Amino acid sequence: MKLSDREDELEELLVEREVRQFLNHEAELLDARELHDWFDLIAEDISYYMPRRLMRENTAGVFSDESYYFDESYGSLKARVMRFDSEYAWAERPPTRTERYVTNVVVTEYDDEEVDVESNLLVYLSRADSEDHDFYSAKREDTLRRDGDSFEIADRTILLNQTILSTDNVSIFL
Amino acid sequence: MVTDNTTTGTEQVLQEAREALDEGLFPLQLFQDDDLHELEVQRLFGQSWVFIGHESEIPEPGDYARRYIGDDPFIFVRDESGEINLLFDSCRHRGTQVCRAEQGNTSHFRCPYHGWTYKNDGEAAGIPQKTKAFQELDREEYGLAHVPRLESYEGLVFASINEDVPSLEEWLGEYKWYLDIQLKLPDGGMEVVGEPHRWVIDANWKTIADNFNGDSYHTAWAHGSVVDLELGGEETVGHAGTGESIDHHIHCDGHTTSIRGFEDEDVFLTYPDEIVDELFSGDDLSEEQWQVARQALSFTGAIFPNFGFLHFGDTTDDPNKDVAPFFTIRKWRPISPDQMELWSWGLVPKNAPESFKERMYKMYTSNFGPTGNFEQDDVPIWKSITEAAGGEFARTQDLQLNYQMGMEWMSEMELDEEWAGPGFAYSENLEEGGMRLFHEQWYEMVAGNDREDALGTPMNVDLEVNQ
Repeated sequence: MKLSDREDELEELLVEREVRQFLNHEAELLDARELHDWFDLIAEDISYYMPRRLMRENTAGVFSDESYYFDESYGSLKARVMRFDSEYAWAERPPTRTERYVTNVVVTEYDDEEVDVESNLLVYLSRADSEDHDFYSAKREDTLRRDGDSFEIADRTILLNQTILSTDNVSIFL
Repeated sequence: MVTDNTTTGTEQVLQEAREALDEGLFPLQLFQDDDLHELEVQRLFGQSWVFIGHESEIPEPGDYARRYIGDDPFIFVRDESGEINLLFDSCRHRGTQVCRAEQGNTSHFRCPYHGWTYKNDGEAAGIPQKTKAFQELDREEYGLAHVPRLESYEGLVFASINEDVPSLEEWLGEYKWYLDIQLKLPDGGMEVVGEPHRWVIDANWKTIADNFNGDSYHTAWAHGSVVDLELGGEETVGHAGTGESIDHHIHCDGHTTSIRGFEDEDVFLTYPDEIVDELFSGDDLSEEQWQVARQALSFTGAIFPNFGFLHFGDTTDDPNKDVAPFFTIRKWRPISPDQMELWSWGLVPKNAPESFKERMYKMYTSNFGPTGNFEQDDVPIWKSITEAAGGEFARTQDLQLNYQMGMEWMSEMELDEEWAGPGFAYSENLEEGGMRLFHEQWYEMVAGNDREDALGTPMNVDLEVNQ
């Protein structure tokens, strides 16, 4: 089949490439703890949500209807970002060293304005004067909204694998 | 098992601890000590009432949740008749755990190994091929083992693996007066939202126990970011011993609470007027309890040995939004000398409108739990204490930590003679007597004595003044 007959697929590929580039850029900002620049990518109607995972006898992928770690609006997410400017935000003094691995990027739906995308996220986190490290592993479900040449994050749901966290705290954004 | 050698070593450590406690000190090394951990598991947690969960977590017959006392796995389950049970999770045939999920609903628990099946009240209901294979086995003798003691107070369920522990009501003593204020302020009481947050941290359990037993001194430093951002009011989070608030530290039958409030003002922990008007009739409280609740801005509390709560007003998740209260209860479960699991629940008034319950749970997660703007900064601190305690230096250099704040030569500390509630009430929060009270009980139990030996004495003021 000629490439010209595969225009739809080409378009999908381009959208996927744009999304990948955006997610990689976002991960770089977070790893560098450029949190204000990261927050510039957040839409004013953001829903940033990380429910508590449940462990049930016969059902996989169950999350609490009521309990969560994050359920942030623009204002509360901004406050969490600003908190780290304080010299008293001890959890990140000195800053944790992280690397985010964003994989399995799948565009599930898109139009001219918004793209729904799923991705897997693995975060390696090194803290304090120690060889210890933590991992966060999660699936993310995002809605990205076109904003000029880039996107803004309009909706993010973070689905962690752990039901019992192995970290001191969650002082990073996922 | 504690061997003779370690017992001798531990006895010396305890002897030194006794001398330190008499001075208002606490040896740093006790925050990480392998032999002491064994003793704590056996003599302290094995002889105490340990928090299991809230009745509202398992409202329907068959509802269950996995819970632990120390390392021991239990099933917290409401049976078909509505009774709450705490069953040791180990099949009576080979010892296999029969409950695999964290929560759920079931009429029976079935062992995956050989199929022995138990009703949700623990009774052995099915033993495969019993008539051929286990003809003489008496089913009644082979139910899942019940914890020896299981009692609840106002929805809070506690258990003890020691048959001879005094009743829960005796254990709580007059401290119930303060618990009532938290749990019975709203008509209809409090209920848990969803499932608890759980996370494992590399810190000794006594670090957080110290913190909940009246560490008013740490808030402005450890949680300065919350003040900087105006997420928590100066009077809630600000420096101990400053500001306009009227502060009290209460030591009551081995348990403690720190209260900040305003005299003769309708504060009600900043619950909104519609909640106060509709739910706070005060019918379930005495007039004195009601007055304490009315004037209160925040409560921090701890029940010996490993239960704590925070009932705070004047906090927000967003400086542009109105302040609201939150109420959280928690337990710290020792796993090893340098590790514990934190369990943390958000609670709300049972009869409040859904929108308010959601707001209050949001306040809880914004402030406490693993993502909390307060709690994020606590955990690395407790971890670093534990790390410093575990080495040779703490062991060989006799490093003593200072808990003398509030002792008569350190600061002027007075009992509030007007205070209407039980226990010893100090009209100031620049004191560390709550932590010393915790240490005294810790010492008596780990030394193999009665917890009561540590009670009944004011922890701060010259004894003669108060006799």
